[in-house]
Amino acid sequence: MATTETDARAAGLNPSAFSEIMPRLRKPIIVLGLVALWEAWVRLFDVPELLFPAFSDVLVALITGLGIGGEPILWAYTWQTLSVVLQAYVVSVVLAVVLTGFAINSAWGKELLSTVTGIFQPLPSIALLPMAVLWFGFSKESLIFVVVMSMVWPLAASLTVGFATVPPTLLRLGRNYELSRLGAMWHILLPSALPAMIGGLRVGWGFGWRTIVAAELVFGATGNDSGIGWYINNSRVFLQITEGFAGILVVVIIGFITESLFRVIQRFTTHRWGMEAA
Amino acid sequence: MNDILAVRTSESPQRAASPGEANETLLSVRDATIQFPAPKGRKGAVVTAVKNVSIDIRRAEKFVILGPSGCGKSTLLTAMGGFIPLSGGAIELEGRPVRKPSMQTVMVFQDFFQLLPWKTVRANVEFALRQRWPRMPRGERRERAEHFVDLVGLSPQLNQYPHTLSGGQKQRCAIARAFSVSPEVLLMDEPFGALDAINRERMQGELNRIWEEGRPTIVFVTHDVTEAVHLGHRIMVMTEGPGQIRRLLDNPHVGMLPYDTQGQESVAELREMLIPAG
Ligand SMILES: Nc1ncnc2c1ncn2[C@@H]1O[C@H](COP(=O)(O)OP(=O)(O)OP(=O)(O)O)[C@@H](O)[C@H]1O
Ligand SMILES: [Mg+2]
Repeated sequence: MATTETDARAAGLNPSAFSEIMPRLRKPIIVLGLVALWEAWVRLFDVPELLFPAFSDVLVALITGLGIGGEPILWAYTWQTLSVVLQAYVVSVVLAVVLTGFAINSAWGKELLSTVTGIFQPLPSIALLPMAVLWFGFSKESLIFVVVMSMVWPLAASLTVGFATVPPTLLRLGRNYELSRLGAMWHILLPSALPAMIGGLRVGWGFGWRTIVAAELVFGATGNDSGIGWYINNSRVFLQITEGFAGILVVVIIGFITESLFRVIQRFTTHRWGMEAA
Repeated sequence: MNDILAVRTSESPQRAASPGEANETLLSVRDATIQFPAPKGRKGAVVTAVKNVSIDIRRAEKFVILGPSGCGKSTLLTAMGGFIPLSGGAIELEGRPVRKPSMQTVMVFQDFFQLLPWKTVRANVEFALRQRWPRMPRGERRERAEHFVDLVGLSPQLNQYPHTLSGGQKQRCAIARAFSVSPEVLLMDEPFGALDAINRERMQGELNRIWEEGRPTIVFVTHDVTEAVHLGHRIMVMTEGPGQIRRLLDNPHVGMLPYDTQGQESVAELREMLIPAG
């Protein structure tokens, strides 16, 4: 990595500008390093492709799968999975807001929500998949059900914390300006709870994403459509290990993208409003 | 900005004790008693924060409630705003009992958390205007918001978020917002209490200047004698223990300059009064 600094000088960047971009470059450099290690390890030790394909091969499979010089099959699988998670996400957010909204208005409601959250949060919702199949059949609904069950509780928990930490003065402000219950929710409670909520959305998304991939692995196709988890498992069955790795790579990349999406959301909301340190 | 204030105050260092010959009562407090459950006592034990207070707030006056820390000033003021119930007595605004907070009695709080962090200075004011006059045309609302922001000298910060404002600027914004909705009564709970001495003095002058426009009715709570003499047409002195009225006096020195000797006498006199008897 020593050459990078000289490269930077050669490119006409002064050292201070370099030290400014360096922190941003750290992550890409680490990723590149890991990828190089992977490639070198496979090539040097001649690891069989059926056990662990080289990165370059996986990359080719990925690009082909995305439609450059091949059938664009990965898009459909990926979209299938994403659409299930997104639908479940919307349902979970609405459900969490409604549940928490009711809970904050009564002591019983509060206790009920915290008890139910306490029961379901530690339960890996994938364990509910067999029951979901019993109730909804081998359908998209079953998947949505388990994904919702994985997301809604961490979301509700973070919202509860968010609502509990609204500055009392803002609550008084809301009463002073004659906000209705819904109005107070919309104008005071939800925005105040946003930092906590974004945390919950992040965690919720992570849980949901893991659950859906796991569910598809176990579950196979849902009706006619099948997702990326199914694709990964199928690749193993048909000994297309490189394709399977490409599928895994897609899962990882989507994780990266959503994480940076959350960071962008934070930059334009809570960081900008000084509600969270940047 | 401060020139205006300097000219005004030096032109008329002494003003009639109370404006408006009619002396029409706007807000009346009848024999108000306010009790809280004792922090950790036997069942039914209470702390009496305010005891048998009766006052008539006149239209278009600046009425100051002065008293030592913990004597029940905030409690009385929040009750006037309808935020907390009375244990005894009555509070009436234009003959109608005050039961819950409304935009007729708008509060300016002491702390810096009364602005909505996710709204700019302008949007904070417009939020209040939208609540007050939902059908007000956009353009008019913008104009009115700008006018009041300008009135408190915050025009340069019009589009800034609260976390980028100084403490004094935050209070100015809160004052602009409260004034903009033209409430019957403005309730101000030590709005300058968290400011440094110089800023506080400046804000007092500004408040006097802003009051001149439209002459709203203001009930102002403070424990600062100089502030009371600077601002109040009438000053009510409260005693410690259960908060009671010690004295109610007309203040001929409203708007006085810090070096006004006559004003200083009142200050000394009031200060004497605040020293606990015995
Ligand atoms: N919610 C409450 N529960 C119990 N006691 C309270 C409550 N609010 C106020 N008190 C008590 O009532 C008394 C008056 O409090 P209050 O806040 O009105 O004082 P204050 O005059 O505004 O003082 P300061 O100048 O320090 O703000 C205090 O003894 C306080 O402990
Ligand atoms: Mg107080």
